[in-house]
Amino acid sequence: MFLNGVREAGQAQERGHGAKEGSRTMVASLRESVQLISDPRNLDDSVEEVFRLMLGVECRRDTTPAAAEKESVTAVVGFGGVLSGACVFRSGASAALKIAAQMTGMEFQELDDTVKDAIGEICNMLAGAWKGKVPELAANCGLSVPAVITGRDYKLHVQAPEFQVHHTYRFENARFEVTIICDGLL
Amino acid sequence: MSEIRTLIVDDSSVMRKIIERALRQAGLELMVVHEAGTGAEGLDVLKTQPVDLILSDINMPAMDGLEFLRQIRGQNLAPGVPVVMITTESSEEHVRQAIEAGAQGYIRKPFTAEQVKERVLPLVRAA
Repeated sequence: MFLNGVREAGQAQERGHGAKEGSRTMVASLRESVQLISDPRNLDDSVEEVFRLMLGVECRRDTTPAAAEKESVTAVVGFGGVLSGACVFRSGASAALKIAAQMTGMEFQELDDTVKDAIGEICNMLAGAWKGKVPELAANCGLSVPAVITGRDYKLHVQAPEFQVHHTYRFENARFEVTIICDGLL
Repeated sequence: MSEIRTLIVDDSSVMRKIIERALRQAGLELMVVHEAGTGAEGLDVLKTQPVDLILSDINMPAMDGLEFLRQIRGQNLAPGVPVVMITTESSEEHVRQAIEAGAQGYIRKPFTAEQVKERVLPLVRAA
């Protein structure tokens, strides 16, 4: 049987510690590794990677907040397992249309289902890339399917997170925000 | 390479199109591309349509990609047809589960067309 891109990872799994021992080690180290998990560079690297590979654009962290627009879009992908929380993407309509256009090669005039689908998938990949930066999270933290909200004058409120990483990013003239919220860590 | 019939299973229609585009960029001549938004829809396709290659997401509502794969193998649908998982999940545990369920390839999102070419072309040639 041809196992393409799979065999090496499977062998690495077999070489690893027993699940019980590995789990004990992981739980102890994860609590002690908040600094590593909340390292802001993990988010920057994830955003740059996703936008470079999926949109073919260079995306950089920006100090200017995304301008308020009449209509905005927010995508949320939840984390569960050893870390509970969420990855939240938010942008104005103009940046969302631009991202969807770059992703699909199509032009969009409004926040239709395809645009919402594209933004949800971007958020999904950001969440996956971010948790993949920390091996313990990659293995023991699951992702929800994306939820996408569009509208005007709404706010997302999170009660007392354990930690939060919130950055604005820019590609060309489009700005968007990505937030990692952790409200529980084993 | 001869023309191939493909099934792409992903709850995101945008991702299905991106995967199809990456397959074409990899040099595959796609004669037919079936799309399914859920594992159940994918099974329905396989019960009525012959395919040469299956690509599936893992994180999907209702029936996830691993269960879809187990159902394919359990019902002996598409015997001998390579299945490649394309997913945001990159842990060794997910890879192990995919192997056990019967996957021959694993591609992590985000991906490049080159990665799709490296992982998929050998499987299609070997099938």
